[in-house]
Amino acid sequence: MKEIVVPGDKVDGKVESYVFREGNNAYSMVLGVMDKKEGYDRIVPLNGKYFPQVEDYVVGVVTDVKRGGYVLDINSPYDAFLASRRRYDNGAVIFAKVGDVSEVRSVSLTMDKQLYDGELMEIMAVKVPRVIGKKNSMVMLITEKTKTDIYVGRNGRIWLKGGDIEKAKKAVLKIEMEAHTDGLTDRITEFLK
Amino acid sequence: METSEIVWEIKKDSIRKMIQSGKRSDGRALDEYRKMEFLENYVPKAQGSCLVKLGDTQVLVGIKMDVGEPYADSPDRGNLSTSCELVPLASPDFSAGPPDEESIETARVVDRGIRESKMIDFEKLCITEGEKVWTVLVDIHVLDHDGNLIDAASIAGVKALLNAYLPKLEDDKLIYKERGDKLPVREKPVSSTFASIGGKNLLDPSYEEEMVMDSKFIIVTTEDGKICAIQKSGSGPHKREDIEGMVETAIRRGKEVRKQF
Amino acid sequence: MGGAKTDLELIKNGKRIDGRKFDELRPIKIEVGVLKRADGSCFMEWGKNKVLAAVYGPRECFPKHTQNSYKAKLTYRYNMAPFSVDDRKRPGPDRRSTEISKVSREALEKVIFLEYFPRTAINVFVEVLQADAGTRCVALTAASVALADAGIPMRDVIVACAAGKVEDEIVLDLCQEEDNFGSADLPVAISPRTGQIHLMQMDGILDEEEFKKAFDMATKGCLEVHEMQKKALREKYEKIGEVYGNE
Repeated sequence: MKEIVVPGDKVDGKVESYVFREGNNAYSMVLGVMDKKEGYDRIVPLNGKYFPQVEDYVVGVVTDVKRGGYVLDINSPYDAFLASRRRYDNGAVIFAKVGDVSEVRSVSLTMDKQLYDGELMEIMAVKVPRVIGKKNSMVMLITEKTKTDIYVGRNGRIWLKGGDIEKAKKAVLKIEMEAHTDGLTDRITEFLK
Repeated sequence: METSEIVWEIKKDSIRKMIQSGKRSDGRALDEYRKMEFLENYVPKAQGSCLVKLGDTQVLVGIKMDVGEPYADSPDRGNLSTSCELVPLASPDFSAGPPDEESIETARVVDRGIRESKMIDFEKLCITEGEKVWTVLVDIHVLDHDGNLIDAASIAGVKALLNAYLPKLEDDKLIYKERGDKLPVREKPVSSTFASIGGKNLLDPSYEEEMVMDSKFIIVTTEDGKICAIQKSGSGPHKREDIEGMVETAIRRGKEVRKQF
Repeated sequence: MGGAKTDLELIKNGKRIDGRKFDELRPIKIEVGVLKRADGSCFMEWGKNKVLAAVYGPRECFPKHTQNSYKAKLTYRYNMAPFSVDDRKRPGPDRRSTEISKVSREALEKVIFLEYFPRTAINVFVEVLQADAGTRCVALTAASVALADAGIPMRDVIVACAAGKVEDEIVLDLCQEEDNFGSADLPVAISPRTGQIHLMQMDGILDEEEFKKAFDMATKGCLEVHEMQKKALREKYEKIGEVYGNE
């Protein structure tokens, strides 16, 4: 059984994310699961909004057209700005990379690519790494078994097109629900048969 | 999770398409209600109460009784007052402040269903003619908004009233801790809400469906199959045949729901 | 408070009117994540109190001119349902609710890592569905759990509890009758990890000895309730783990 930590619980000094330090001790900031694999400990939060980090790939939607670029809704308390010469209308679904996040959390996107005619779904951003899997293994498993084209945004937005799209969506939702448990890969493989 | 308007537009299209082919995103039939759960006497300190869960929608109704003067034009009858709070914790769209038009409409439609069906025997609520009567105060407190607040509030209100009692009245003092007589009730109005989406009328809309609908149609029916309240809510127009069809469905559904009472 | 006169025997043979010992809490139940729309939520039953807390955020802060470039704006709204009290309460904030909202928000301000979310808002809403004394403590305790449930980073899960004076005894966690006819009420909120006090109010009369005793008792009560908060938060996820498999 994985250990659940709450804000204020003392954790090993080696943990780096989602901790704060007071004196010689490290404490968890969030309600999360202690992941003790591969010789290092880390805290995986069980809930929370998406906060853009540089290098993240996100799925955004154009909500405003400005001079020189576009404002995108990236399913975060913070909007993102995309400077691009390409032409997009309001409502265009864009896959892009977070290039910069300023001190006041202004987000700049880059390397934009429009996604056409698919379906958009939203899951909790904290669960996205499980949907992607180690070296993309989980998302590739779903694509292989359903033949659905899938773009996974670190911001919790997932764009799907073609194949057995309903099955692919259900697989994603199952991963979201059971993300903090063990043996998930086997259960998903079983589910996709 | 809150979603910007434009992202909603994208969702709307896929939901509307599904409904045109007779399917709903949660797999229900067009005339199917979500699972309903009742927790009666949820607030034991009140004179009556019921928490209703309709799918993920949660509405709590509490009944309080007070003693006051009758209205001038009905000196021998008690009173009914219904109010509704769409408290901010129930939805990211609700904000704190005085009741907005949605909470007022909800309160008034629920009130009409109770009042026009003659559910409460107001004459039995007279204490001293022209001087003292009971007032029944129905307070709707919405806790979680996943669509169809009016049906949830209406059935919670009716269930709460069916189990309500008057507090003890001794020498002009209300003793809340002691139960007096049961509230005199004699009807069980049932409210049915239809959402109109692209010409199709579906029962018990979820929050998502309410976001894409053209309008709503609410019908409240009585035990003997009569209609006691109607409200068309929202701007999309309805066809006459559709309304007659909805009325027939509402009367039929009312009979089925009352079996659960 | 006010120590009104009553025929009720509030203390008899070392037991209180509801049969509790002087340092005994009322029964408490905590449920986490009970609402669909809110980002985090918590329902608590504490004695006859029934309180529902919900959190939205961090989310965009409106109106825009109230945004803070350096940290999130925290709001806390304590509200009582009209049917929650004996004499029906008219809907809407009254002076008491406004004061409670203020001191509760202030209790949380240094606990939440507000500086991580500039320009956003974190909104806490608490609804008292049934009241039986001590509602501000129940509210803050539930709000704390709801914030953790929402994934909001904090330094601790703070907790609140009250102690008071009834007849001549210092007792823990006053119930309605004790609150109506007692002579002092001391609600306290602490950060269990640091022991620091984040909320304190008092009404009534206590001498220095009595105050220390009440303070001590309330703090112990807080620590007891804190264990229940942690248990409830863990249980929500442990249940899912049991169903879907463990290694």
